Amino acid sequence: MNDRAQSSASLPMLQKALAWTVRGVWIAPALSLLGCLAAWEAAVRYFDVPIYLVPAPSQIAGQLLVSYPQFLQATFSSAISIIVGFGLAVIVGIPAATMMIYSKVFRRSIYPILLTAQVLPKVALAPLFIVWFGFGLLPKVLMTFLISFFPIVIDSLIGLNSVRPESLLLLRSMGSTRWQAFWKVRLPTALPSIFGGLRVAITFAVVGTIVAEFVGSDSGLGYILVVARGNLDTLTVFAAILWLIAMGFLFYFAVEVAERLCIKGRAARRSHELGAGL
Amino acid sequence: MREGRHGAALIDVRSVSKIFQSDGATVKALHDVTFGIAAGEFVSLLGPSGCGKTTLMMILVGLASADSGEIRIADRRISAPFTDVGIVFQNPELLDWRTAIENVLLQIEVRRLPVQEFSGQAKALLARVGLAGFENRFPAELSGGMKQRVALCRALIHDPGILLMDEPFGALDALTRDQMNLDLQHLWLEKRKTAVLVTHSIEEAVFLSDRIVVMTPRPGTIAEIITIDLPRPRALDCKDTPKFVAFTGHIRKKFFDLGVLANE
Repeated sequence: MNDRAQSSASLPMLQKALAWTVRGVWIAPALSLLGCLAAWEAAVRYFDVPIYLVPAPSQIAGQLLVSYPQFLQATFSSAISIIVGFGLAVIVGIPAATMMIYSKVFRRSIYPILLTAQVLPKVALAPLFIVWFGFGLLPKVLMTFLISFFPIVIDSLIGLNSVRPESLLLLRSMGSTRWQAFWKVRLPTALPSIFGGLRVAITFAVVGTIVAEFVGSDSGLGYILVVARGNLDTLTVFAAILWLIAMGFLFYFAVEVAERLCIKGRAARRSHELGAGL
Repeated sequence: MREGRHGAALIDVRSVSKIFQSDGATVKALHDVTFGIAAGEFVSLLGPSGCGKTTLMMILVGLASADSGEIRIADRRISAPFTDVGIVFQNPELLDWRTAIENVLLQIEVRRLPVQEFSGQAKALLARVGLAGFENRFPAELSGGMKQRVALCRALIHDPGILLMDEPFGALDALTRDQMNLDLQHLWLEKRKTAVLVTHSIEEAVFLSDRIVVMTPRPGTIAEIITIDLPRPRALDCKDTPKFVAFTGHIRKKFFDLGVLANE
């Protein structure tokens, strides 16, 4: 009796799992990934590639298992820099874009500075940061902030400006204050665009931190990369790159989850359905 | 009998002119427009696109400024947005992250009225326009006609003195449009709001209005003001009566005379 109840309860779950598999949500990407790894492994073994050039996936996996405490610590160090730098870029970027919307003077005075900061290759600043701020967290955070700031500001600007004029007329007819118009209409309207900026910015943020660690740091995945490369320890380089990829994915999905929590009722899914892939 | 004390209209438009500047060129949008709208009256502004009727509607409630002339509502000169008003635009302007009822209640929230008290009314109003059961749907799940009904509810939920509609049914198919005209007439007969409808449909204007302000294109001036004395409530088959056809024919001829329409 108990058995039957259990099996009938797990049946829908089984069906669901089956449906997922049939739809190829997991199976297609997993197969393609496995295929790539297998080809890599086979190629390394067949051509007998030396380990300091290209290690095999199995060797990298072994390295990952052996030295994961060291990597975990480095990842933690990089992640803090990414979170703080990116967080600062969000906290400063969105209000800056908001002020640029409302004040023409502010927009005109800030825009040349913003553009100069973006056109300038920020890697060129990294040595200066070391001179000014040493090897600690600060230069890393600053680099991360600088590199992820621009896409946030620009996409926030576009989003905040995309409010339909009729919507604002409607609000004026309701006697709306600027504050109300911002929180009830302007900001929610801008959210998809702002999150577009955040997605780009979070991947930039990872690059920013790693670049800063490359140039001068005593911790983090970038630091491990530089040291390992110096020792011709290609195995560790590959392992560090894998950790970087995993961390990048994690941050990107964190932003995506935040987006899903913040944005509801959008027509995107429906238009995708009706558009049948167009 | 509709006119208020001193024989003054509720909305008094006095020789209003408006000029737009674009790229150094000046376009005269409105020139010396004078007319009045009585309380509880349904008035349509009818004219071809570009005749300044939307601009005029905006000026009526202080959402745009006139270059000369003035607007008085209940004998008070309008210099800032007049807020005892509900507006419906051609695009429903619903916020797509809010459900139907939340969109209606935006009006209440912004005016800082008690949302809790009005949510029952909002539900009733939505049901009144045939949207019972759709309160919690998002705009993306509603048809064009349904969205415009939600917009109409949002314009009425706070029981405004004046209802403004800027080509509200212009984007709807002909059948939906007929139904919306009927529903709007019902609602209007119930609530007797002072209503201003901007439209370029002659039939719609005749069907809904007490009076029609026929406007000329560039600069927008008043060509004629026509009183429509068809009995209410008007059914759709009233459109086939000789009197109705006489009105539409008269207005169409007017547009021919103005050069808005031409046979060649």
